[in-house]
Amino acid sequence: MSALTFSLIHRPDQRVDMSPLVCHLLKDMEPAQIAAIELQSGKRKIRVDELFKVSGSDTQQIVIENSFGKLDFIGKELDGGSIKVEGDAGAYLGLGMKSGEISVMGNAGIYAACEMKKGFVTIAGDAGDFLGAALPGNKMGMKGGTVLVKGNVGERAGDHMRRGNILIEGNAGDYCGSRMTAGTIAVMGKTGRNLGYAMRRGTLLLWNQPVLPASFNDCGAHTLAFLPILFTSFRKLNSKFADASVAFNRVQRYAGDMSEIGRGEVLIKIG
Amino acid sequence: MLIKLTGGTVYDPASGIDGKKQDIYIKDGRIVNQPGPDVQIDKEYDLSGKVVMSGAIDMHTHIGGGKGNIARTLLPEDHRMDPVHRTDATRSGTGHAMPSTFVTGYRYAEMGYTAGFEPAVLAVNARQAHMEMADIPILDKGGYVMLGSDDYLLRMLTAKKDQKAINDYVAWTLQAAKGIGIKVVNPGGISAFKFNQRKLDLDEKNSHYGVSPREILQVLATAVKQLGITHPLHVHGCNLGVPGNMNTTLDTIQGIGGLPMHLTHIQFHSYGTEGDFKFSSGAAQIAEAVNRNKNITIDVGQVLFGQTVTASGDNMRQHANHKHASPNKWVCMDIECDAGCGVVPFKYKDQNFVNALQWAIGLETFLLVDDPWRIFLTTDHPNGAPFTSYPHLIRLLMDKSFRNDMLATIHPEAQKMTTLASIDREYSLQEIAIMTRAGAARLIGLQDRGGLSAGNWADITVYTDNADREKMFAKPDYVFKDGELVVRDGTVVHSKWGTTHIVKPDWDPSIEKDLQKYFDRFLTMKVGNFKISDDEFTDIGRGSLTAHPLKGEVA
Repeated sequence: MSALTFSLIHRPDQRVDMSPLVCHLLKDMEPAQIAAIELQSGKRKIRVDELFKVSGSDTQQIVIENSFGKLDFIGKELDGGSIKVEGDAGAYLGLGMKSGEISVMGNAGIYAACEMKKGFVTIAGDAGDFLGAALPGNKMGMKGGTVLVKGNVGERAGDHMRRGNILIEGNAGDYCGSRMTAGTIAVMGKTGRNLGYAMRRGTLLLWNQPVLPASFNDCGAHTLAFLPILFTSFRKLNSKFADASVAFNRVQRYAGDMSEIGRGEVLIKIG
Repeated sequence: MLIKLTGGTVYDPASGIDGKKQDIYIKDGRIVNQPGPDVQIDKEYDLSGKVVMSGAIDMHTHIGGGKGNIARTLLPEDHRMDPVHRTDATRSGTGHAMPSTFVTGYRYAEMGYTAGFEPAVLAVNARQAHMEMADIPILDKGGYVMLGSDDYLLRMLTAKKDQKAINDYVAWTLQAAKGIGIKVVNPGGISAFKFNQRKLDLDEKNSHYGVSPREILQVLATAVKQLGITHPLHVHGCNLGVPGNMNTTLDTIQGIGGLPMHLTHIQFHSYGTEGDFKFSSGAAQIAEAVNRNKNITIDVGQVLFGQTVTASGDNMRQHANHKHASPNKWVCMDIECDAGCGVVPFKYKDQNFVNALQWAIGLETFLLVDDPWRIFLTTDHPNGAPFTSYPHLIRLLMDKSFRNDMLATIHPEAQKMTTLASIDREYSLQEIAIMTRAGAARLIGLQDRGGLSAGNWADITVYTDNADREKMFAKPDYVFKDGELVVRDGTVVHSKWGTTHIVKPDWDPSIEKDLQKYFDRFLTMKVGNFKISDDEFTDIGRGSLTAHPLKGEVA
């Protein structure tokens, strides 16, 4: 059985809500039924076969070809199966996803992996603001799973994050790890201003010295036994994080945000 | 256009009609007498077997004013869960606990309601409240203007100004803010909170002004009576939600000395301190006091289980309750140095002892107060539950076995602490019609509303009789507003605009001199801008004002 493939025929002017096209909702559906699904685009509804050339039949393995940055809500609440996006993804990629795998060849928009619960998301390009964050007004962001971004990410990565891993090979924007409750964010590149703003708990793992807010306290240099275990867990990834040469166990530790409960930590590679 | 509603079973307590088969004629928006045999009927509805009542009136519902927008901003998730799409007759919006304005109007109408009254209009924010309500379609609106923690009144009381001067100020404020009644919230307590007092009992003095809640209630209730305002002083008492506050409430009833007074969401003020959890029902004592004191009217403020948001001017009590916020986020704020506001989201749970007992206390109150003309059906929307739960509440009141089935599912300790199971009373359709129609119209002082006799405006709701009262009241067959069909089979088919009900008591114009000085020195706006003019209602092309007579006045 070949992967169910949606190949974009033309780029609509308005954004498209792709949330109906997820593995668990398409399960047991005939190709004709899938072609007839209506997608909201601006104030119009467009049939799937008007927008995409549909081929293949394995609903648990979806490929979106020629994707571009206005296809929103790809993999919303995905519960098993895999979605491969060839091109860019719009906003809210993998919103609230429960399990399964999403991989994006290009860039992802704002709120990628927002309130994700479990599963694995790879973004080969850049991700927008609020990666793994909570929806506006909500108090809990990403609750589990792993997000790997090979490019850079925007501001507020991991805002209100609760659990899980965000791995960033490139740079992170301002307010990285803001209001985190728990979880881990690892950034190989540079970080912006107000790192860990109002974070309560959680770990920011950095390869480069950040500009830390005044409300973080230096706790000295440490050799942490858990770091090799953490890096070992990255081995299976197709990523720089899997490379043994990037691993380290000696860090400078900072605690904060002291304007919150201050149980968060920023670990910075020494040497 | 002459409309005939043929053969419905009419419940019209305003004219003493209790389930009589009767035809109703509508002409030019009003109900008329049978126009004679040869007059042509333009449109006839066959209502045989249907139940006909006037449009329902919610006499206490938070549908306008800044706190609603704070609640909406605070809870975007509540809106995300309940999107409402546009139709050919209606506009889009969002629903659940604090729906958008348009959805508020539609959902009320779809339950057969044709009027709603906002009980906490801050005079200084009245313009916004009225503009927001001007966006609520179909319903008639009105507001009770909040006094009692405003600096000007408290200064007057400190200076021992005479009752006449206070009457003038009350009348002036009521007219400036375009209200139909006067509301007082935690009298003096909202102000006391800002002077770091965290509770204020009936006889405890506001530390800055040296004035007690009892004195404030006295002068305001006297003012309302002397000015001839039909709606009694609308009181949200001291100590909301505090175990043992039942004594404060009984004291308040005693202390008002026979003056007309409406105690609102009394469920939140009927708590004792007995039992292992030091929290018990005071409903029986409160109901007994209400039965005995004919000057007292109440609405219940029933709690129903589920997610909602509490929005109140009572910043003192809202601040005290903020630890219960669910989801955990809340707002308490000052408003223009003249009032307060607290918004705390709540999730009432049937397996939580306190919530379960609150639920039972509300129902006990409904069932133990004898006179349906003096008790009103509210959830204090959205504080006890969103208004959309009214049909469920009506079923609880009308169906004893359903009520007992529900009772059996709540927290077991709460079941032991309530007498609900032993109460056999079931409300009749006529009693529901009194509470939600005729009684409410009489209490607010609405002329030509809440009844089905000739001369009344044709606000009419038609239900299909159904033993499941929840289903019956959730989905009326027809709703007419001012003679126009707005709802068919529980769905809005046509939207229109209601009027705003007000009263216009007189005041001595010389008081404006001092008010002008006060506004210039202390307040954030000029006295001229504070006063809302009539054309602000009519200029937008959809609003109107309907002034109702004062007591003793002939219309």
